[in-house]
This record gives sequence, structure tokens and C-alpha cells, in this order.
Amino acid sequence: MRRPTITALVVIIGLLLLADMLVVNAALGQVAGVAVDAAILVAAGAALAGVGALGARRLNDLWRRRGDPIGAVMVVAGMAAMLAAGLRPGSTGTTDPAVQWLVTALLIPIGATLFGLLFVTTLGAARRSVATGSREGTLLVVGALVTSVLLVPLSGPVGEWLADAATWSLAVPIGSVLRGLLIGIALLTAVYAARVVLGIRGADD
Amino acid sequence: MPSPDELLGRLVRFVGELLGSSSLRFEIGPTLVLLGVLLVLLQLVARPISRWVTSDAAGLAGVGRAMALAAESGTDAVVSLGGAGVTRATDALGRLQTLAAFPILGHVARAAARSGIPLRVLTNDPIAAVMAAATIDAAHASTATPERQGRSRIVMVGEGRSTIAALAMTTRATPAAAFAVGSLREEALLHLDGLHGGAGSMATASAEAAQAPSLLLSGGGVLIGPEPFQAVADLRTEVEERTMIMAANRLIGLAIAVIVVGSILVLAGAFDLAGFLAGTNRG
Repeated sequence: MRRPTITALVVIIGLLLLADMLVVNAALGQVAGVAVDAAILVAAGAALAGVGALGARRLNDLWRRRGDPIGAVMVVAGMAAMLAAGLRPGSTGTTDPAVQWLVTALLIPIGATLFGLLFVTTLGAARRSVATGSREGTLLVVGALVTSVLLVPLSGPVGEWLADAATWSLAVPIGSVLRGLLIGIALLTAVYAARVVLGIRGADD
Repeated sequence: MPSPDELLGRLVRFVGELLGSSSLRFEIGPTLVLLGVLLVLLQLVARPISRWVTSDAAGLAGVGRAMALAAESGTDAVVSLGGAGVTRATDALGRLQTLAAFPILGHVARAAARSGIPLRVLTNDPIAAVMAAATIDAAHASTATPERQGRSRIVMVGEGRSTIAALAMTTRATPAAAFAVGSLREEALLHLDGLHGGAGSMATASAEAAQAPSLLLSGGGVLIGPEPFQAVADLRTEVEERTMIMAANRLIGLAIAVIVVGSILVLAGAFDLAGFLAGTNRG
């Protein structure tokens, strides 16, 4: 269902921000600043409400003995630890040593452990891709094998030729494909952003 | 009480003062170029007719069939909105990919609502969660199936990009169809591999150029680079949606023409177009 009020609001705010970007005017800048501040406040309020809802949901799961109790305990304990470290009397917030310890000693190592699986996962995905006979996947795996050969650390003229070939493949074919992708992404991002600013939606939205 | 002519005079004076106290942020050339590009874009977007025939790159037209299979097997479908979110500390491209995921979520949600399939939406951003809930509500409203609304759920996985990948890898439920649409970065392969395990069908879409190999290795329908933004306009047959594709293709053609002409001019030593456009040949 179309909501002309919201569309009009989106268009007005979009034009206001566009005008502020092009024209230096104190009054216009203040109005645009109010719009941006209001958006930030709404987003921050919604983010806090979302986090509160997550905690309440997990506590409710524990209270009613439903769902995943271990996961719920981990979420609630993690939130409580971070809140206690950041909000206790005398704490300096996000720069507090206790908060930074929680991040550097727990969060980052846990994430790194997860990313350690990437080696095995990549091999598994490559095997599956070849097994299913996907054309793009097979081409990708062959390309990866060729690149692996080019990166073999050999000495002498053969090693130099391999290194030159690896540099060329990175700069020319891989570089051109990536640049083409980035140009296409930039253009369609602009088109999509215009679509969002103008509030263009399907009739059944 | 001022008369109408006095009121008009005051208004004209007010506008005049406003213009008098303003100055252009950029020089006149770049400002006109910027406005010209916007004008061309709006003209292309607002064009009322379309002769463009679009393709179905990720098999999103087959979502209905996937949902029918899910209904037979009695399982659910999963839609992951990627790791960027809307209000998280990330870049604009990541946020825009999350925004582009919502029309695709709506498309899947409508098919799921018609087939009576519960949806599980994974996100790591509270605002994206609220928007996803509204999208699912709208899908049930448009398909007149409000009684099925309560079966779908939004799963807020917590903060961070790795959390959503960890949840996808550790969840025991095997959905009939899985969709990963949005910004996927270093965690892409873990995320997609987790979703792929046991899923009957899989479709992935991400505009992260560096993660294109992860998407290709994940199997199933794939939208790479600019395609997720194109697919949004591809989902329906509305004229305004299809003209987006035409506009995008024309802009791509225009950009290629500018690059080719600029390169020829530079090689001929006539004019440095890149320097003029980037504003680096001044002073």
C-alpha cells in the first residue's frame, strides 16, 4: 500500500540534504542538521529498544524454560558483563580498561577462532562446487589452482617468470574484472539510492 | 493584517535575503554537472515506458516453487540480511545492500505467506530487525494471510559480523530454502556454508566485489556485484521497476563512453578529461 506522506517526507528530506550539500547557507545548514540529528536520535532510540527487547526475550525464555537455555544464559551474561564494565561507578565507558579487556581478550579471539575455520570451509566449498559441476565454480577453482602454481616460491629464471606472471594476472585480468564490478556497483548504487530517496516502490509494497 | 501584495513582497524579500546570504559549496561547473547528472537520472527513472527485457539471474522467480517444496516437507525458510545492518558502524555501501535486501525479503515473504511457510530472518541490527518485521507484516497483509503471521520470526543474532556466521553454522534446523542477501565480507564463506548445510535451495546476493568467489563457491542462485540492486527492480513487472534497469544500463553505457572518449583524448594529448572531471588539473 502506498503511503504518500512517507514518500513526500523522504523526498523533502532528500532535497533538503541535497540543497545543503550544494549551497552554503546558515539557515539551511541548521535545518538539515536538525533533520540529521532527528534521524540519529530515532536510530539510537530504536537500537536501544532492540537491545532491550533482545535481553527481555532471552530472560523470558529462561523464565518460561523454552528455547535454547545455554544460548540465553550466554546472551544475558554477556550483556550483563558489558553493562557492568561500562556503566559501573567510575567507569570511563567504551574506553574503560574492563570494557577493552572484554573486547580484546574475549570478543576478538572468539571471532578469530571462527575465522580459523575458513581454510577447511574453503576447501569444502571448492570440492562441492566441482562435484556439482557448476560452470562458474569450476572456473573459479581452476583459476585458484593456476594462481597457486604462479605463487610457488621458486628461485632462478623460472621463479622470476612465475612471479612476473602472478603480478601481471593480479594487475590485468583480476584488476580489470574487479574495477568493472566496482564501476557497476557504484552506478547501480546511485540508481538505487535515487529510488530510495524518491520513495519508488512496487504497487504491492 | 498585511495585504496580499505586502505579504508577497515580504516573501520575495525573504527569498532574496536567503539567496543573498548563500554561496555555492562547489564552483559553478561542478554544481551544474552534479545537477545535470541528477536530472538525467530522474528523467531515466521517471520514463513511463519500458522495452527492456530482464533476466532472472538468481532464480528468484522460482521462489514460489521452493516454498511449495518447503510446504511439502514441513520445514521453514531462512533469509539472512547479511552482516552490515542499517544503523551499525559500517560504510554506506553495506547499509545500502541491507536496504536492497528488503524488497527481496518482501518477495520471499509474499511467496512464503501464500504457501504457509514460516520465515526465519537473521539480522545483527535492531533497526533492520524492525524493518524486516514490518516487511513480513506487509507481505501477510498483501496476501490476506494475517493468521499465518505469528509463525515467522526475526532472529536478532547480536552484534558483529561473525555472530551471524556462527549462528548459521551452529543452527541444527535445516530450512527448505535459504537466502543470504546483503553485505557479506570476510565471514561470507562461513555464513553461506552454514546456511547451505541441509537447505533444499539456496540463493545469495551481495555487492561486495571481493567476496564474489565466496558466493560462487556457495552454489545455488547468485547475484554478484551490481546485480543485487538490479534484481530489486527485476522482481516485479511494474514499469517503474523495469525502467530502473534501463536507466542503470544506459548509465553504464554512458560511463563506458566517457572512459573510452577520455582515454582517446588523453592518448591524443588533446585534453585531460579525467583531470577535469576529478578537478585535479586546477592551479
